[in-house]
Amino acid sequence: MTPIISARGLTKRYGRTIAVDHIDLEIPPGRIVGLIGPNGAGKTSALKAILGLCTFDGELSVLGKNPSRDRAALMEDVCFIADVAVLPRWIRVWQLIDVTEQIHKGFSRKTCMEYLAHTKITPDQKVKQLSKGMVAQLHLALVMAIEVRLLVLDEPTLGLDILYRKQFYTSLLNDYFDEDRTILITTHQVEEIEHILTDLIFIQDGKIVLESSMEEVERRYLELMVHPEFAEQARSLKPMYERELFGRHIFLYDSVDREQLAALGEIHTPSVADLFVATMKRGES
Amino acid sequence: MKRLIALIRREYWENKGAFRTTPLVIGGIYIAFLLMSIFTTTHIDSDLYTFREAVRVMGEQPDALRGTIMYQGMLGSSVLFTVVMSFVVFFYLLGALYDDRKDRSILFWKSLPASDTLTIASKLITAMVLAPLTFLVVMILTHIIMALIGSLMVLSADANPWTLFLSVVNPFKAWAMIAASWFAQSIWALPVYGWLLLVSAFAPRVPLLFATLPPLVFAILQTWIEFLRTFTLKNNIVGVIGNWLFNSPAILTAEVHDGHGEIALGVPLTENFDHTVTLANILDRLFSVQMLAGLVIAMVFLAGALWLRHRATDN
Repeated sequence: MTPIISARGLTKRYGRTIAVDHIDLEIPPGRIVGLIGPNGAGKTSALKAILGLCTFDGELSVLGKNPSRDRAALMEDVCFIADVAVLPRWIRVWQLIDVTEQIHKGFSRKTCMEYLAHTKITPDQKVKQLSKGMVAQLHLALVMAIEVRLLVLDEPTLGLDILYRKQFYTSLLNDYFDEDRTILITTHQVEEIEHILTDLIFIQDGKIVLESSMEEVERRYLELMVHPEFAEQARSLKPMYERELFGRHIFLYDSVDREQLAALGEIHTPSVADLFVATMKRGES
Repeated sequence: MKRLIALIRREYWENKGAFRTTPLVIGGIYIAFLLMSIFTTTHIDSDLYTFREAVRVMGEQPDALRGTIMYQGMLGSSVLFTVVMSFVVFFYLLGALYDDRKDRSILFWKSLPASDTLTIASKLITAMVLAPLTFLVVMILTHIIMALIGSLMVLSADANPWTLFLSVVNPFKAWAMIAASWFAQSIWALPVYGWLLLVSAFAPRVPLLFATLPPLVFAILQTWIEFLRTFTLKNNIVGVIGNWLFNSPAILTAEVHDGHGEIALGVPLTENFDHTVTLANILDRLFSVQMLAGLVIAMVFLAGALWLRHRATDN
């Protein structure tokens, strides 16, 4: 199957700083990919290149199109929330829905109104009268009502309360996602999305440091919790990362035999957040 | 086409104050002045004696003279609309490709499948067509309301407004002339519109400074170098822009002397064009060498604006 996004040597420079450094990337359809990295790692720059919002070096093809050259055509099949609070502040909710409906072929007013019905937003309100959380709700309602093949969400739930965040990710998974669609999400709240992700990409200093499916993550990485007396033994198996919690030592291993670890203590699959910390620490040393 | 219309509607929504409220305020001022003068007249002269006398004297004048005065009055009343509209369009274009970069909503607009070319086209059409159109509608409404008030006054002085001033003028001719001059002005002003859009797409902040400083600095340098070389002062870029402005097809002056009214398009400084108001004179400058040069300059500016818009994001 042809990939949704395919990049080869993708590079983005701002003057002398390299924000994205020769990235190779292939994202097939029907995936929910988490793009995770610390601040300034190049996530937003990579997304901007993918969305045709900036020029770049290297090869990049999104749905078979060059995003920088064919942005308008690409946006027929791609939707994105670049950041919360980018909706024009002067516009009224009904005007926003109207203009989106006129310009976007795949927009369903009915679906949008259904999402808005769960909120306190009314059609006659101006965006500047809405709270930050409500603006995010409005933007999500718009985006979820558009039929596209690729949805890019950059910190989509910033400023939303826990109830709405849970509800959003549930409907994203249940109502929106299907095998033809691909969703690319960046967020700092990794715990919230890890159970819906199918793929994981870690980015650090403009480079991809981990690209793997969630199944592979489960196969490859193990977290071991041991009592202090076994710590030395566990350390000799070359963990990626070590931390202490309530007097117990926790080690994270990459591709170490499960049986061998099970003999030393409790094992389980690491959380994405812990794996992220471990990968970043390894990258720094 | 559907998308273009949607984008133009968006421009109208965003700039309702400029395109709708502003002409309404001008119309309101005209009507308020008319009502104030009526109030003053009736207050000083409750029997309307002077007013009746004035109506009688006016009625004795030949139809043609009354017609000329009415016609010129209508054209003259458009001057305020023209001048204010120029300012409205100037500032509209200056912000057109700047405001959404400043408030970052460009990220939302660029998430819609509308090309940058279409976006710039919608802004240019808004300036060239929508602005004159809304001003025209409000001006026509103002004329009609003023004519109604005037008629009531004349009726209360026991005279017939139809024969006195309504039937002597063809309002459609006046409106057509004003409309022609405004739309011709839109084309004539293309180089400036292009420049403003370019600056709007480029300026990192305060687009007004970026729009006005470069020509000014350039003119000063030009004058200075020219003066050092020849010790005479010649036409610099400000002179060129001034000359262009004064050759505008917009009706900018109106004078009535003893019935021999004179309404001029621009302020004639050079003898390039005839400035008397006729349709031929309004349109002639659109088929001139100056216009051709202006179109070329406009194209360069617009291409630059498009190039910049293509690369523009929120920072």
